Amino acid sequence: MASHTSKAFLSLGRINIPRLGLQKTASRVTYSTGLSVNSANKKKGFPERSGKGNFVKRPRRDEGEPRTKRMPVDQDWTAVYPAAAPFRSGSVPLPVRMGYPIKGGVPPEKRGNLELIKIPNFLHLTPAAIKKHCEALKPFCTEWPSALDTDAKCDEHFPIKVESTDYVSSGPSLRNPAARVVQLKVKLSSLNLDDHACKKLLKLVGERYCKDTDILSITTDSCPTRQQNYDYAMYILTALYHESWKTEAWEAEKTAADMEEYSWEDSQSQRNILDVLVRMKVAGEGEGEEVREQLLGRSEVQEYKDSVTRLKNEGESESTMLQYKEAVKKVLNL
Amino acid sequence: MAAPMALRRQLCCLARIFSGSSHSGPRALGACSALRKCNIIRSHLPLPPSTSLHTATVFSSATPSSITVTEEPDTLFQKVSVLVKAHDRAVLDSYEFFSTMAAKELGITVNKVYEPPKDTERFTVLKSVHIFKKHRVQYEMRTHYRCIELSHITGSTAQVYLEYIQRNLPEGVAMAVTKTAMEKVPDHILEPIWDDHPIADKPSQ
Repeated sequence: MASHTSKAFLSLGRINIPRLGLQKTASRVTYSTGLSVNSANKKKGFPERSGKGNFVKRPRRDEGEPRTKRMPVDQDWTAVYPAAAPFRSGSVPLPVRMGYPIKGGVPPEKRGNLELIKIPNFLHLTPAAIKKHCEALKPFCTEWPSALDTDAKCDEHFPIKVESTDYVSSGPSLRNPAARVVQLKVKLSSLNLDDHACKKLLKLVGERYCKDTDILSITTDSCPTRQQNYDYAMYILTALYHESWKTEAWEAEKTAADMEEYSWEDSQSQRNILDVLVRMKVAGEGEGEEVREQLLGRSEVQEYKDSVTRLKNEGESESTMLQYKEAVKKVLNL
Repeated sequence: MAAPMALRRQLCCLARIFSGSSHSGPRALGACSALRKCNIIRSHLPLPPSTSLHTATVFSSATPSSITVTEEPDTLFQKVSVLVKAHDRAVLDSYEFFSTMAAKELGITVNKVYEPPKDTERFTVLKSVHIFKKHRVQYEMRTHYRCIELSHITGSTAQVYLEYIQRNLPEGVAMAVTKTAMEKVPDHILEPIWDDHPIADKPSQ
């Protein structure tokens, strides 16, 4: 009894309790809420005994028959699944089974199957739906110009290729810093360059040129946005082009070691062959410049020159070595 | 002048109607295409913000007039390569069927569709929180790829196709699109500038 009154004091707080009678009614009021569980139970049945206390389970409505039973065979499926939605077993009239089969049995049925709900489904993208969507999208598409059907024609009219990548993924941010990279590819044969300009450009560009495909690739990623990187790449191309046409004063100091290709004139090979021929006295007696020039004019010497240049520029192979052998045999009359 | 104004009013009303209903039904066909049309037009025509609503406008009557054609030339893509990555091969199979069919319906030439080999990232961690070094557990993450290469596609078509593909990208799938655009040689690279100014040490532009 004493404990009840003390609880009543606590619940009522600062309210004055003048008489004992009032206290009793007050205490009864505080406990009436505690007793309400039992009165509610009589209507609904036993609550769970899991220790949750006042929790009451509502009775479940009986579910009706699934929609699939009333679906005609020739219905419009795009109306059932117009947009991406999770799998609803009552809306899909297919006898699908998914999951690991129970022992000695089959995979579980679709009703209440979590595996079917977890996996992304393409029920909203059936061929009929795709056709409908594409019919609506067709007015916004433009046609490819019919004159540019082969790659060769494309390269001829549009030689500059700009490559960039877009990324789509789910995450906290839309941005992908790798999307700012721009790669510009040009074939040097399509640019207006003369011999000296071409060689100077190759020297300026270095690693970025591929000799086999004659493509110069400029990759820019130093600016934060793609537009800026594209502008920078075009600027680099322009600067390279105009600089390669310019001839600076110090370019006259180009030595034989800087030359890109081997040239036979004024080379050690020319001097050697002429010395040998003069010593062999092929053109008759006498020494001097005229004899050497006469020797140079000979066809065997020209053949020898061609074979040596080819050997030095293209490297050693079956055909180049054979050609060199034939030329040497002719020149030295072996 | 009356016709463009009427056009703008129709479009503004459409935008208001469909933006209102868009959050209720996310990707219904009609709403989607109308929104896209409105988006495209918004980029070309500056719509006046306060235009009177014509509630009697019907969607079907506005369809043919809502496509704008601008004067700027279309970009030309020699190759568009779409690489899709996912953890599940079956999802990629379905997505490939969807995207190839969409490309065929829109008249886009599909160069080739191939499957690069999958990547597996494995790592081994200790099974227990504390000690038991001999007992570990191994996890792996498999990434499957699928690549669809399209060739000879214009900028507008590429935009339409890629937006369609990307809106229908399933959850858990990532995509990387590599576009190779073709361009003419710009005018300032056709002729060297030194012909006009023969001074050798002129600073380059």
